[in-house]
Amino acid sequence: MLKKIIRTNEFVVFLILVGLSLVVGLINPAFFAISTLFDILRGSIVYFIMAFGLLPIIIAGGVDISFVAIAAFTSYATHMFLLSRGYQGGLFLYFLIAGGLGLLAGLLNAFLVTRFKLPVFDVSLATFTMWYGFTLFFVGATANFDLPKPTVGYYENFLMVAQDPVSGQTGLHVSILYVLVIGLVVWWFLKYTTIGRGVYAIGGNKDVAVRSGFNINRIMMIIFALMGILASVAGVTQAFLNRFFNPVVFIGNPLDVIAAVILGGAAITGGRGTVIGTAMGVVLIQLINRALIITGIPVEWQKLVVGIILVIFTSLPALRERRARRMGRTTELAQ
Amino acid sequence: MDKNPVPSTPQKTRFGWAKKIPLDSQTLLLLGVFIVLFIFFSVANDRFFTVRSVRSMSYQLPEIGVLSLAMMITILVGGINLSVNATSNMAAVIAGFFMVKLIPADASSQVVGLYMALAILVALLIGVLCGVLNGILVGYIGVPPILATLATFTLYTGISTGLTGGKTVTGFPDQFAKIGSTTVLGVPLPFIIFVLLALAISILIQRTTFGFKARMMGSNPVAATFSGIDNPSMIMKIFIISGVLSAVTGILTMSRTMSAAYEYGTTTFVLLTILISVLANILPGFGSVLNIFVAVLILQIISTGFNMLLTGVSGGTFFKDFSWGVLMILIFITNYFIRRRRQTES
Repeated sequence: MLKKIIRTNEFVVFLILVGLSLVVGLINPAFFAISTLFDILRGSIVYFIMAFGLLPIIIAGGVDISFVAIAAFTSYATHMFLLSRGYQGGLFLYFLIAGGLGLLAGLLNAFLVTRFKLPVFDVSLATFTMWYGFTLFFVGATANFDLPKPTVGYYENFLMVAQDPVSGQTGLHVSILYVLVIGLVVWWFLKYTTIGRGVYAIGGNKDVAVRSGFNINRIMMIIFALMGILASVAGVTQAFLNRFFNPVVFIGNPLDVIAAVILGGAAITGGRGTVIGTAMGVVLIQLINRALIITGIPVEWQKLVVGIILVIFTSLPALRERRARRMGRTTELAQ
Repeated sequence: MDKNPVPSTPQKTRFGWAKKIPLDSQTLLLLGVFIVLFIFFSVANDRFFTVRSVRSMSYQLPEIGVLSLAMMITILVGGINLSVNATSNMAAVIAGFFMVKLIPADASSQVVGLYMALAILVALLIGVLCGVLNGILVGYIGVPPILATLATFTLYTGISTGLTGGKTVTGFPDQFAKIGSTTVLGVPLPFIIFVLLALAISILIQRTTFGFKARMMGSNPVAATFSGIDNPSMIMKIFIISGVLSAVTGILTMSRTMSAAYEYGTTTFVLLTILISVLANILPGFGSVLNIFVAVLILQIISTGFNMLLTGVSGGTFFKDFSWGVLMILIFITNYFIRRRRQTES
């Protein structure tokens, strides 16, 4: 049992997380504070949600980048619509409308992929461009800071508060609860439902999955719908955490989220990936960012350090795998 | 990257007809789209088809065109290079520093010319080095290309950010602007460079043993290995070519804007080059440079055309993004029906 755990990719990610925390903590003991944890979690919230939505697609062997555009489009369009109606209520309606739009946007991707037998990546590239263009041209191109009154205090709606001598008061934001619920649902979906097992089957070998009787089209519809909904939840959450709606939010981030999922042990070729690993991948990226600030590396050189860390972290699993199958190895380029 | 996640039946037939026809149907489709768009914009706006606007398009298009070649050649071998834009920025930044820091203030124009030539060499060398690192990661260590180049994208951007401290490098000698502004028989030099590079890459892919090996490796890496092709060294060479092409883009951009910045075109350019490759139907093992060329033209006239039509409309510049996405989806769907008809015919 223990041996089995040690062999998993997730365990390696866990070790890296612990190792990195220790190193940073040794350089600057101020790192070991509950406020650091809260900060990292706050920074991770929207990435958790998006990564959980993306994970099933990656497990099924696809790479999608349109989820960021869906997040931006659904949240911004919902806000501008409600604003024009003079809406002064809570967040629920935001999640409902944005979630509905996200569902439709996700289904559009799934329809194009399944009906016209197109690669997920190609379709998502088209819809990525389309949704950002649509939002900026038809909905609006400027950030909006005009939030409904009942939602204004939401950004500091904390479950727990920690005092920190340096950064002042930080707290554990309430939206971490949605992350937990979403994580549990996706975990249950992937592990205990027939459709969830089908996702792994498609990623492992599509032909075999078809012959085993999995309805590929239906599975694709479901995982894309899930991705669309979670993207819009992430978009709305992001806006209320930062107290403004931005039509180009996340436009530069799709690769960050993909990197988090892959660092968390999912295979970009499909067939492998877990919720817990993905969560650790997200935290790892946030931890690296936080570590750079706390260890006092000058701002302009931080990106270089992130780059070096990424080069090392992406090489390690490949080197491990390479050693594992020295014999008859072929370059796995056809990803 | 995820061009062909699982070998499914329609994909195979797609390869099938691509092999048979020298001028593939994608070229005809793209040319058709190009002509329709061209007529549409010429009718809709009388300023569209003028010497001035065509000239201005031919100044803008080479940069993204050469960068698309850099992207395309890696997709052809079954990879992807997300670091193309980061490479071109890094090459520009370092070559820029080379000129700004090293050229003596009292140098004669010949000496300045010599330094400029050296700066261009430096930029190309950076391109080679960036390609080598990508090649090591993808070819020799075996990191999936999308991950390896995502990491180097961050790394190269990080180097440029660190060196410039986040500022734009300016103050190049005036002569440097000539690369971007010289015309030969009325045709801008950057456009000629783009056409020549496109021709060179086309010949390399279609007419040389190297190109044949590369295409073979793209369509089936396992079969290629067993046929005695040294995949890692092929991958290395492909990434070096990709890096050099990226560096050329860096030089062109630098000369046109007379500046070099770490953040020039970040992410949007990378996605744009992938978009062009997808539009041109570049697949691992199959692809034509001519399609890339037409795809670049299409994207450019959509951008210029809608910008002209929608001047003064708020957010008007963003309509092109929307129409790029819609156009891609339409082309995908058309391709699907063409593919299906061929299937039923055969």
